[in-house]
Amino acid sequence: MSTAPATLLEASDIGITFGGLKAVQGLSLRVPTGALHGLIGPNGAGKTTAFNLLTGVYQTQTGSVTLAGTTLSGKRPHEIALAGLSRTFQNIRLFGELSVLDNVMLGSHLRGTHRLIRTVFRTPAFVRQEEAMRERALELLGIFGLQGLAAEQAKSLPYGDQRRLEICRALATEPKVLLLDEPAAGMNPSEKKSLASTIRSIRERFGVAILLIEHDMGLVMDICEHITVLDHGQVISAGTPRFVQDDPKVIEAYLGVVEEEGTGNGERGTGKASLGKASAG
Amino acid sequence: MKTLAQHTKDVPASRAFRPAVVFLPWVACVAVAFAVQLVAPALFDDYWVNVLRRVGVFVIAAVSLNIVNGITGQFSMGHAGFMAIGSYIGASTTYTGSLLLHGSVGDDSFAVQGTMLMLGGLVAGACAAAGAGYLVGLPSLRLRGDYLAIVTLGFGEIIRVLLELTSKQVDTADGARANPFAAFFSFNGPTGFFGTPAYASNFWIWLFVAITCVVAYRLKRSSSGRAFLSIREDEIAARAMGIDLTKYKVRAFVLAAAFGGVAGALFSHTGVNPSPTDAGFQRSFDIIIMVVLGGLGSISGSVLAAILLVLLPEMLRGLQEYRLVLYAVLLIVMMLVRPQGLFGVKEVWDLWGAKRKARGGTP
Amino acid sequence: MGYELLQILTVTIAVGSLYALVALGYTLVYGVLKFINFAHSDVFVLGAWTSFTTAVFLIATQGIDSANPPWWLGVLVFLSALVVCGGVGYCIERFAYRPLRKAPRLNVLITAIGVSLLLQNVGQITGPTIARSEQGSPLATLPFGATPKRMPTLLPEVVLNESTLAKGQAQGGAARGVVVLDQQITLEEGRQYRLAITRMQAGSDGALRTIRESLSLAVESGTYAAGTELRTTPRRTPEELSGATYELRRGPRVPINLIDVIIVVVSLSLMVGLQVLIYRTKMGSAMRALSHNVETASLMGINTNRVISFTFVLGSVLAASAAFLYPMKYPGLNQTAHGIWVLLGLKAFVAAVVGGIGNVRGAVLGGFLIAAIEFFGAWAYAPLRDVYVFAVLILVLLYRPNGLLGKAVMEKV
Repeated sequence: MSTAPATLLEASDIGITFGGLKAVQGLSLRVPTGALHGLIGPNGAGKTTAFNLLTGVYQTQTGSVTLAGTTLSGKRPHEIALAGLSRTFQNIRLFGELSVLDNVMLGSHLRGTHRLIRTVFRTPAFVRQEEAMRERALELLGIFGLQGLAAEQAKSLPYGDQRRLEICRALATEPKVLLLDEPAAGMNPSEKKSLASTIRSIRERFGVAILLIEHDMGLVMDICEHITVLDHGQVISAGTPRFVQDDPKVIEAYLGVVEEEGTGNGERGTGKASLGKASAG
Repeated sequence: MKTLAQHTKDVPASRAFRPAVVFLPWVACVAVAFAVQLVAPALFDDYWVNVLRRVGVFVIAAVSLNIVNGITGQFSMGHAGFMAIGSYIGASTTYTGSLLLHGSVGDDSFAVQGTMLMLGGLVAGACAAAGAGYLVGLPSLRLRGDYLAIVTLGFGEIIRVLLELTSKQVDTADGARANPFAAFFSFNGPTGFFGTPAYASNFWIWLFVAITCVVAYRLKRSSSGRAFLSIREDEIAARAMGIDLTKYKVRAFVLAAAFGGVAGALFSHTGVNPSPTDAGFQRSFDIIIMVVLGGLGSISGSVLAAILLVLLPEMLRGLQEYRLVLYAVLLIVMMLVRPQGLFGVKEVWDLWGAKRKARGGTP
Repeated sequence: MGYELLQILTVTIAVGSLYALVALGYTLVYGVLKFINFAHSDVFVLGAWTSFTTAVFLIATQGIDSANPPWWLGVLVFLSALVVCGGVGYCIERFAYRPLRKAPRLNVLITAIGVSLLLQNVGQITGPTIARSEQGSPLATLPFGATPKRMPTLLPEVVLNESTLAKGQAQGGAARGVVVLDQQITLEEGRQYRLAITRMQAGSDGALRTIRESLSLAVESGTYAAGTELRTTPRRTPEELSGATYELRRGPRVPINLIDVIIVVVSLSLMVGLQVLIYRTKMGSAMRALSHNVETASLMGINTNRVISFTFVLGSVLAASAAFLYPMKYPGLNQTAHGIWVLLGLKAFVAAVVGGIGNVRGAVLGGFLIAAIEFFGAWAYAPLRDVYVFAVLILVLLYRPNGLLGKAVMEKV
């Protein structure tokens, strides 16, 4: 990453207020093509809200978002997905009653055409597309080692598989940028390790840029090239993992939280400590 | 990895067109219609042959409601409203049409043309109901479950009130010719619309039953059907996957309403006079119970439940008073014990099909 | 026209406060459980029929003179409605909704519809007779049966602001159905007049009883000299009128009925009581905590099941109060599954939504607002009476989905 690649996803100065609470304020992000970008911050810092703003679940009240030159802010979530921004959810949101295969096929829905007449009469165009969707979905499932579970109900899958299925479904939308919301949540160390390599290989294989929210600092520091740190809805630091790790503001934000939880006096600690330790577990 | 578009192009022609899969269901529709028409009179007396027509109408109603309530998960309580629109438009097409073209209604010599009029009425009724479905579908985008239920309930009631306000039926050829448009919409107020000939034989009714089932099933097993199901499962995830909620919710409402309209139009051609109370919630509840019992999302479940729930009261004549009490208990117990209904989202044949290999594409 | 509008206003205030009482039940339950209790309006209907049945039963078995009911009859009837509705409200929550606390919304919705259907249709079954007339014909059954009934009068029909124009002796004229007064009277155009007659009549045992009754004058406006024969309805024979005294009562331009005043007073005191309960008592703060967040509330040691049960009973009791008052104003009782009840319940529901569901003050505001729209709308064009209300519902849901006083809630992703 010596040459600066073109900016793919750019958020400038976006913000939203919920009933007086500034959930996200003046957030700016630049995710270049093929980047692996981390978004971290203490609990309640506004990371998921930022994702919701980017993907249109909430409407931005200030600022703008562009993806490869197209403006996303003001568009509805499905239009944003069509533009090439796909995501997973912190609390997995699969289509539980549907089969694993159907979940992934739904991912590629937005790249197809769906005419009722074709559907009802099963025209060749319809069958072709349906077959293609299925083949593609099976191929994706194969990449994630889920092909054997294609016929299972999504909700019957073990937790780790559900996480992977969600990523798989998001990739089926043919995204330019993939937003992963705490993909390692609830995973054990070995699962996390394999997740890290999966994320790296996704970038290679699908050529997508990845924006990652993660609590596991080890994982983020390990795989991300660039990290943005949020606290109280605002960017407090941004840069390489090494830079962010040593930024006093970041340490203060994290340790402050630790102290708050410990003593409840709300005063922020100033002691210097390794971030990796501060948030381990 | 190839994009979907490239993939689609690469599917070989041999797999893209399989005549048996494409055409056989339609042939089966006609076969079913003939079978019921010919076999029923041999097995049952006139009364039960007539009951069979009622059964057919409610199968269409239940399967169509299942598209929106079951598959898309948008709980509509105004289906009887759509049925009533179809009923009145269909009945009036045949009735007023007969007056205008033939001068009288129900002549034996006019039966063939009359049946054509009925088919025209089915189309007109379906279109009118679909239009209403579009109007009701729009607010559904902004309403959560129980609000939508109330709004659709209100819709049925509004249809009822509006039907009660219609003017007296025009029953002479001269009257109809004087102002065909006004005559067409003179639905005879609270007393109901009389005199539509019973052109809807078991053949026509069961033809449309079969067509409705094929269409509903093909929808369910298609990309559009998956989109409907995804909305029911999780709207936020569906949006994030690029599914246009507006488009699909409205689609579901329009489709359900259109087939509801067909059911209504057929019903008014079975010797039953449509009346404004048909649009009310009592009828809507009847159909909802069928859908819930059969399984939200199960086409075959709806078919079986509709057959069962129309036949049951016929067999338990003495228990008329307790029929709805029984339904209510059924509904509550169902939700407590087996909330997904008898078959859930599955079809009857899925149950003994064991676990087949990955399917989900075209059947 | 001005007077006509004022008259509509009085009806609006009376019926509006009833809507508000029922709407409060919807709102309270929504507040703690975040779902619409479809069966709430049926609890209201149950209350009305319970009132009817208790009243008829007491009148038949306690030898009460139905023309002059004692004050305690109303109290007992009211209590019976409260107890039955409160009990049924408790059972609905305990046996139908509680098992589904964690189920998807759709299942709860369907269950609620089921409970609603159940109450409606059980009510329509004709059960054993519990009260008979003197001739032995059944007056009330339990369950209530499928024929409309008429609520007995618990309260004499009194117009509070009626004025007396003349008093004196009346007698029958030559023919049946006319009354002759002993002084000249003048009847103005556009006013209601009636003759309050007091006369003696022998009962079946021969004893004389005082009869008070109200005759309306079937004559046009104008001045009538003493001794003119005036036609009346109902018609009385000269024998019946011998020795009778009369009062000529002039109806006000905007009548205020005793029952309307009672409805408003009872409703308002219940609403004030509810406000006190919610903001000044321990149970009230538990309810508010629950409506804020069920999980946090239970973590803080609140017995959620108890609070939810209490809320259901509270809502049902409010509905029962409305249900006791409603048939006193509109004595015609339709069978429990009749569409008119569903519409009534829907209006109360719309009131709750328009005010902002989950918001207690909103429900009250919505109740009056919906009544105003309904009655003034009916004045403008009567056949669309019910359509107006739904039009308002749809508009509010589309443009202000959280109601007039409700707060916006963001869905958590």
